[in-house]
Amino acid sequence: MTAAPTLKPPLPGFSELDEVIARYRPLPGIPDEFIGPDGKPREAWLGFIAALTELGSDEIKRRFATADRHIRDTGVSYRAYGDTSERAWPLGHLPLLIEASDWRDIVAGVEQRAELLEEVLQDIYGPGRLIADGSLPATAVAGCPDYLQPLAGLLPPDRKYLHFYAVDLGRGPGGKWWVLGDRTQAPSGAGYALANRLVLSRTFPQLYRDMNVERLAPFFDAYRAGLTALSQHSDPRICLLTPGPYNETYFEQAYLARYLGLLLVEGGDLTVKDGMVHVRTIAGLKEADVLLRRIDSDYADPLELNARSRLGVPGLLEVIRENGVALANALGSGVVETPVMMSFMPKLSRRVLNQELLLPNIATWWCGQRAEREAVLAKLDTMSVAGAFGNAITDDTPRYQSLLGASLTPGEQTRLRAGIANRGIDYIGQEIVNLSTTPVWIGGHLVPRPFVLRVFAARTPDGWKVMPGGFCRTSDRADARAVVMGNGVESADVWVLGEKPAELVTLLPADEAVRVRRIIGSLPSRAADNLFWFGRYLERCEATLRLVRSLAGRLIDASTKNPEAASLVERLETLLEHWGAVPVATRAKGTALAAIALFSEKESASAFSLVEDARRAASFIRERLSSDTWRLIQDLYDLLHRDMQKPLTEADVADRAEAGLRTLSAISGLCQENMNRGAGWHMLDMGRRIERAINTCHFAREFAQRDGSADGLSVLLELVDSQITYRSRYLVGLALAAVRDMVVLDSFNPRSVAFQIERLEEHLNDLPPLKEDGMPEEPRRLIIKLAASMATSNASDLDNKAILAFERTLLALAEAISARYFLQGPNVARAEKATGLA
Amino acid sequence: MIYDIKHLTIYEYGSSVTYSTCALRLLPRDEPGQIVYASRLDIEPSPMFTSERICFFGNRVTSITIGTAHRSLQVAARTSVEIDRAPPPPAAETPAWEDIREDTFAVASLDRESPAHFIHPSRFVPHYAPAAAYARESFPANTPVLEGAIDLMKRIHADFKYDPKATVVSTPLSEAFEKRHGVCQDFAHIMISGLRGIGLPAAYISGYIRTVPPPGQKRLEGADATHAWVSIWCGDEFGWIGLDPTNAILIGNDHIILAKGRDYADISPVAGIILGTREQDVIVRVDVVPRE
Repeated sequence: MTAAPTLKPPLPGFSELDEVIARYRPLPGIPDEFIGPDGKPREAWLGFIAALTELGSDEIKRRFATADRHIRDTGVSYRAYGDTSERAWPLGHLPLLIEASDWRDIVAGVEQRAELLEEVLQDIYGPGRLIADGSLPATAVAGCPDYLQPLAGLLPPDRKYLHFYAVDLGRGPGGKWWVLGDRTQAPSGAGYALANRLVLSRTFPQLYRDMNVERLAPFFDAYRAGLTALSQHSDPRICLLTPGPYNETYFEQAYLARYLGLLLVEGGDLTVKDGMVHVRTIAGLKEADVLLRRIDSDYADPLELNARSRLGVPGLLEVIRENGVALANALGSGVVETPVMMSFMPKLSRRVLNQELLLPNIATWWCGQRAEREAVLAKLDTMSVAGAFGNAITDDTPRYQSLLGASLTPGEQTRLRAGIANRGIDYIGQEIVNLSTTPVWIGGHLVPRPFVLRVFAARTPDGWKVMPGGFCRTSDRADARAVVMGNGVESADVWVLGEKPAELVTLLPADEAVRVRRIIGSLPSRAADNLFWFGRYLERCEATLRLVRSLAGRLIDASTKNPEAASLVERLETLLEHWGAVPVATRAKGTALAAIALFSEKESASAFSLVEDARRAASFIRERLSSDTWRLIQDLYDLLHRDMQKPLTEADVADRAEAGLRTLSAISGLCQENMNRGAGWHMLDMGRRIERAINTCHFAREFAQRDGSADGLSVLLELVDSQITYRSRYLVGLALAAVRDMVVLDSFNPRSVAFQIERLEEHLNDLPPLKEDGMPEEPRRLIIKLAASMATSNASDLDNKAILAFERTLLALAEAISARYFLQGPNVARAEKATGLA
Repeated sequence: MIYDIKHLTIYEYGSSVTYSTCALRLLPRDEPGQIVYASRLDIEPSPMFTSERICFFGNRVTSITIGTAHRSLQVAARTSVEIDRAPPPPAAETPAWEDIREDTFAVASLDRESPAHFIHPSRFVPHYAPAAAYARESFPANTPVLEGAIDLMKRIHADFKYDPKATVVSTPLSEAFEKRHGVCQDFAHIMISGLRGIGLPAAYISGYIRTVPPPGQKRLEGADATHAWVSIWCGDEFGWIGLDPTNAILIGNDHIILAKGRDYADISPVAGIILGTREQDVIVRVDVVPRE
């Protein structure tokens, strides 16, 4: 296939394309991206749709299915407010195409607007000239949620407020792009745009190359350079300050942190000391030079701003006053994204830049001004009304929602009019513009849908750079005007079509700017905590699966009325009960009980619950795990997520447990072979080792007893996966001392307790000490003691009491590790607020 | 009149606190009709760092950090202040409330005194339609703004029961309004909410009133703790005028201003972060003694 512009018109007889075009009907009176105002398809779209049609419907289906699987596998997700779990990312299968000439207009307009907003912000928190001369009413500014009085006069270290800016655009009837809204607080969407690009460029690799789609990587390269330039250091520590995993766009934040090589931190990871912001890491406190902020300004410092915030850093404002840290965007930048600001932009552009806006604003009237208020009240039927400050405009309208004057009942209109007459400052009226539609693929057909295009700009050492692409949201309804993420809204990749082939660039900095190093940065304590528990949950899940597999194996024997086997079945069932994998005193037996232990959503130690726990821990550290690891966890989750009602045979249960164990060993293999040997790997592996050592002690006490049977010993060897080793070493059959030695003391057996302790000792030796005073820290002290008593024990003296002593010391070691690495320092206890009551 | 004020705040913690950092707003400053002769803070245990600044709204803020373990924190503020306020203007001469509203919408300043800061909802004073409807009754068309505000103040005094046990700092305004009870802080917030709800700018003032009444007069409510009242903007000519809904009086020489803000959240006397415990008891004692 060749490039789009050389495509010939459809040949006679090649009716599929004709049919697709003929069946596509733009909405009456609404401009469309595919079909131009002359009723003919636009060239770029024609090329795309022709290539698509050529693939044939089976191939299209196959590709779209691959795209969906890719999204699921890499875990691209978002969370709606109030959701407890994340939702899969709704990515449409067609890109939005933008031609080079259109794009040039957009770039010029976006750069102009970014500069204008910057100037306005500097004036609002600084000299206030625009306020004094009436270009910007003080009451409009003071009502903006992000206008924060304590920030007045507080200049950012580099004197700039905006470093990253996003603007929502739509195309109006005349073909011109219109500004629908600005995002200056902590704009989201750029990371999703990257994720969308990854999927779509794989879905249509040939088209992607042939259409000269502009690459995104150089933009992010320049963006990172801009962040680096915010610090005096040549190699600053840049942190992405996230509200945490429960935020709507946490996935994107983690994704961006990983892509840009930033440290992902929450407020709790940071602390103020000696006029600087520090990250709490397992190696103590490390300075943070730049914070890429994704929390709202008001939440940034509970001491001087919103005292109820748990997301911020107490004392941050004082550090900013002393120029100790740079924030991007600066605190308070959100003022200019407030809806009311739209009404002043045309005038401010003339006043500040001496230019007309290159991209027109949706015409907006602020009802705080008498003449504007009267105009809105007079023309209410032809307008939409919204909260000036994002406030709800009626009792049952959500915040940030506008209402069409014409759609109100007479009663509603009367109430709205009274509200506007009483406190006009809280309302804006906006002109209604019909925005264009773009084709989306629904049920094998192309249909027109309204869309909003979000475009991003970053401040770089060479000025503003606009990302050549964007984040497009399409509505699920043909008549929707306001498009918000939520039910039924899809996103689309945005292809900016170049006139010449795009240069191949990845996120590789120039050679001379790179200092070679092997271990990057310090691991934040919170990430260390999650990695450690990720390891423990995986290992605990493995133990459950092994117990279930052993049980399933014995069930087949037990049915032959072998009394020995029957008693073992009972012991395994009791153990699963104590383990927490099945309910206490459950009536379920045999296969039914095994199924509960595998699939139960309620029991805390069922294999399914443990995978859920592991997945949750992993979701907090997603930027540190490879997408392959994430995919395997997802597989394991799917494997164990099933309908409990369906009957299962012993063989089914054994198969399922077997498959789970295989996936777990694949995860182990990935971590072992592919994870960089930094502190993160140490934490994850320590979690696995300590859990395995504890569980092995537990199983040894259960099945290697003096009065126990040979069958019990064989179950134990199965549980710790050492049958083959044992048989190859001892030809005499199962003996208590020999089995105990192999399971507990034999440091050549990779499943033994002693082996785990040796690895734990190596890990602890490799991790950085907090103090340089040469005194062993608590975890080190415990591991030395454990290793010594392992080395000096011998199998004949090793009774249950001795094993229990090991187990207890291991539990103490696990606690010592948390205390040292996850909660280190005196200032980490949870901050409580003290308020004086008067 | 010269007053000697002692304001003592004691926190008792359930267990040892290893670190605390607080912002104290306990020192008054000069105002029209108010001269601060002397003021000092005594803090026990003594802080590792102390710094003082003036916050946006013009209040003195002392920031302290204590890095040693402690079970209690004691802050004593001592102030001598002379009060000699001009009497308030005749209410009937103030502009019509609708004009004040339109002037506020059009004000061209973000200075600390600008009414622009005091017309929007704030942390403790959200939009609350019932309070606005309640206030509206005091403001028939063309009522002079101060007349309306005085009427509203008197109605609150008459309709609401003063009950120190009924509410705590975190009680939402709506609850105090519905149950028609509370303390000075609740009455001030309710009155502010009502005024802002009809488009008038209103501020929250914290301060003191004299503990011992002049002979033959009734002791004022709120005298044994810090007090709170309301200030309303009456246009460029008359500026800000204080009204005390707890006692249904205009601010005079018995009131000492400590701090001004949009609501309690801007000016709580002691606010901060402590590490180490959840449980705490607070004791506040205030003495305001007029010099003979």
